[in-house]
Amino acid sequence: MTSGIRFDGVTVRYGDTTVLDALTLTVGPGEVMALLGPSGSGKTTALRAVAGFVQPSAGRVHIGERDVTDLPPYKRGIGMVVQQYALFPHMRVDENVAFGLKARKHPRAEVPGRVAEALEMTGMGAYAKRHPRELSGGQQQRVAIARALAIRPDVLLLDEPLSALDAQLRSGMLAELARLHRELPDVSLLYVTHDQVEALTLADRIAVMDKARLQDCGTPQELYRRPRTEFTASFVGNANLLPVRVAADGVDFAGTALKVPVDGAAPGAAATLCVRPHLVGLGDGPNALRGRISEVQWRGATHRLYVDVGGHRVKADVRELRDTPPLGQEITLHFAPEDAVLLAAGVNDG
Amino acid sequence: MLVHSRGGRWASWLAFAVLFVPLFAVPLLVIVAASFSTHWSGAFPSGPTAEHYTAAVRGESLQALTTSLVTAAAASLLALTLGTWAALTAASLRGRGRRILDALFVLPLAVPSVVVGLAVLVAFSRPPLLLNGTRWIVILAHTVLVTAFAHQSVSAAVRRLDPVYEQAAAGLGARPSYVLLRVRLPLLLPSLGAAAGLCFALSMGELSATMMLYPPDWMPLPVLVFTATDRGSLFTGSALAVVLMATTLLVLLAVSRIRTRASYR
Amino acid sequence: MASAGATAPPVAAAARRPRSRTVPTWVWALPPVAVLGFVFLYPLGLVVQESLAPGAYADVLASASFRDALVTTVWLAAGATVGCLVLGFALALVVAFVPFPGARAVSRFIDVFLSFPSFLITLALLFVYGTVGMANGLWTGATGAAEGPFHFLTTPWGVLLAEITYFTPFVMRPLLAAFSQLDTAQLEAASSLGARPARIVRRVILPEALPALAAGGSLVLVMCLNEFGIVLFTGAKGVTTLPMLVYSKAILESDYAAACVVAVVNVAISVGLYAVYRVVSRRAGA
Repeated sequence: MTSGIRFDGVTVRYGDTTVLDALTLTVGPGEVMALLGPSGSGKTTALRAVAGFVQPSAGRVHIGERDVTDLPPYKRGIGMVVQQYALFPHMRVDENVAFGLKARKHPRAEVPGRVAEALEMTGMGAYAKRHPRELSGGQQQRVAIARALAIRPDVLLLDEPLSALDAQLRSGMLAELARLHRELPDVSLLYVTHDQVEALTLADRIAVMDKARLQDCGTPQELYRRPRTEFTASFVGNANLLPVRVAADGVDFAGTALKVPVDGAAPGAAATLCVRPHLVGLGDGPNALRGRISEVQWRGATHRLYVDVGGHRVKADVRELRDTPPLGQEITLHFAPEDAVLLAAGVNDG
Repeated sequence: MLVHSRGGRWASWLAFAVLFVPLFAVPLLVIVAASFSTHWSGAFPSGPTAEHYTAAVRGESLQALTTSLVTAAAASLLALTLGTWAALTAASLRGRGRRILDALFVLPLAVPSVVVGLAVLVAFSRPPLLLNGTRWIVILAHTVLVTAFAHQSVSAAVRRLDPVYEQAAAGLGARPSYVLLRVRLPLLLPSLGAAAGLCFALSMGELSATMMLYPPDWMPLPVLVFTATDRGSLFTGSALAVVLMATTLLVLLAVSRIRTRASYR
Repeated sequence: MASAGATAPPVAAAARRPRSRTVPTWVWALPPVAVLGFVFLYPLGLVVQESLAPGAYADVLASASFRDALVTTVWLAAGATVGCLVLGFALALVVAFVPFPGARAVSRFIDVFLSFPSFLITLALLFVYGTVGMANGLWTGATGAAEGPFHFLTTPWGVLLAEITYFTPFVMRPLLAAFSQLDTAQLEAASSLGARPARIVRRVILPEALPALAAGGSLVLVMCLNEFGIVLFTGAKGVTTLPMLVYSKAILESDYAAACVVAVVNVAISVGLYAVYRVVSRRAGA
């Protein structure tokens, strides 16, 4: 059995606007793929193309080995959980969970067992006879997940499932989702979110979307440590994006020569250097930068320093300082050469 | 919110009361008062009696009441079926088809009821379908008249229905017919109830088309109210009118109780 | 998928098959359209056909009774509409913005009022302003005169009063709906900036209410043009409107051709106005 999802040049247009531009992406069987991007980036459209609620103008969508592009939603065999839960308000919890099984004419005798199993799995067994309106948002979301899992789909689509929950519930549900996926290792998950924490925590791979296009795709570690575009660098984690010019064995930033891997970039070319703020240290070292403190923010465990280096603002997250440095003080920052990533400039600075 | 001074507020309330009470409250009260009286001499009714009511729930009057109830129930059920069908179909159509269908079903709203009565009379006094002189012609005309209202309120409800439920159901593998029966119609139930109540009330009070069509053995209550007042029995007419209003209100109340029980949010 | 193995149809054809099995949506529109066509459009068509009887239009359009009815209908409808708009706006303003205990009951009362037939108003007015009604009774009691001064009930003014009374709630309901969506913060901001109530009504509330007023007003105009019960109950020989003329030509005189001509004119006026109403209310988003 092979499941998984394959987008093959999927384009969605509404009139003159292209909301999804030639997306080609494969989600492997049992893989968790996060579609990460700001609103309007096309990530939800991609998910709805899998579900069958939008019809691609071009390209094909495959679920497993089936080409589902022309199939109506009810023939696709997917599970889907949306932000607003969409529990049927006129049905009890157990009726909601049984809905998919009954709609597919599942053998009647097996339905109660499957419903109980799905509710147990999401920890909602005790609420089977309640109505959705009697449940909290988090509980409703668990029921929605149970309802999607009851039909034992090969593919589970999650559209911003946690964004209607408050921060504390969200991290709890995130752990729940990770556990559920460990229990159901064969289910492919397509998880749409604008929240990098959700994507980094849950996903095997992240597809970064912006302006209807796939910008970058890779494991969370790859994207975080080696982003390929400025957009990825700034959307996945924090980043200093410094305008630099490529030199022989490093780069030139605001008149300072920095030693960083240049990976064959043409000397003299303009580029962007990405350095994560928490990898910038205080004091002298390799790749020292001298500047003046323009802003200090206390963030509990860390201090965020904004340092003006030759007219550019460099952010540094350092462990909480005992004495807050005064604004305007001269300061030296450094970072290790291997912590910097050189990006081609201007690719994504729209 | 708007008027902040105490005096200003009292002045606006006074103006409201002066306009509202005589125009809207008094007429209904007057009818109720008259229905319990035998004379109206001077400023107030006199000769308190319940005689008109004992007459109003007997013989001809009782028959008129049941006639109205049966007509209204039949017409609203037919209109609700027809209007809901059209509204649901229109919702799944796109562009021009939808506009034509919607326009077609609101058209009876714009046509005077008297003309609907005349048209039905002209059309069903000849083959292929001879209904003139039967109760069916009254029920048919009422159905035509209230279908537009049923269609309008159901299509407003269909538009308000969040597509997320249908999509969730389709995602779970439910075919369109299953979605309609198990998700859309149950969710529309409160609105269908409201539409049915509206149709019922309108049909109960319908006079214009009925005057053109009613056969002697199928005389609805409004016609009886008219004939009573027309021959000068204003007090009997009032009692019949109160019975008409009370029955309508009772049915509306019952419908709205069912609605609250069937509403989920 | 396994069964498709033997003939191995191209993928596109296999994918299209489920679609061809389902009925196109417009087919579902046929039954209700057919029913409506038979019970409404076909009868209406017959009315138009009957009205085309030789000489019918010429006779009717030339008759004084028709021209009188036309003029009466139009001015009554226009007058009642203006009255309903002014009264409805003023009353809705108080209910929405000068709230008092029982304001919600008033809104409920309006809903109930809408579910009553129109002729009840005329019936009630007979007791209030009729020759032996309350108003005249009070007058004769106070002055000792033989009869009171109120005789307008059987004139067009009586119909006008009844129509304004009955149709004002039809203006108030959309207005109250529009007012409930008005952001009260706007009013508070305006009054904190020193605007007087009259100014707030003119500059803030009225512009917001305009679509609802337009929609409610045109609906009332159409309904007044078509009103029959009020005129019938007034029982005044002097007040004949187009719907009344249709009734009397058809039922009292059995002159179907003439009745159909009047009906066609009446339908033309009210459907035309109703089309305007639909456009206005759609633009207002109502």
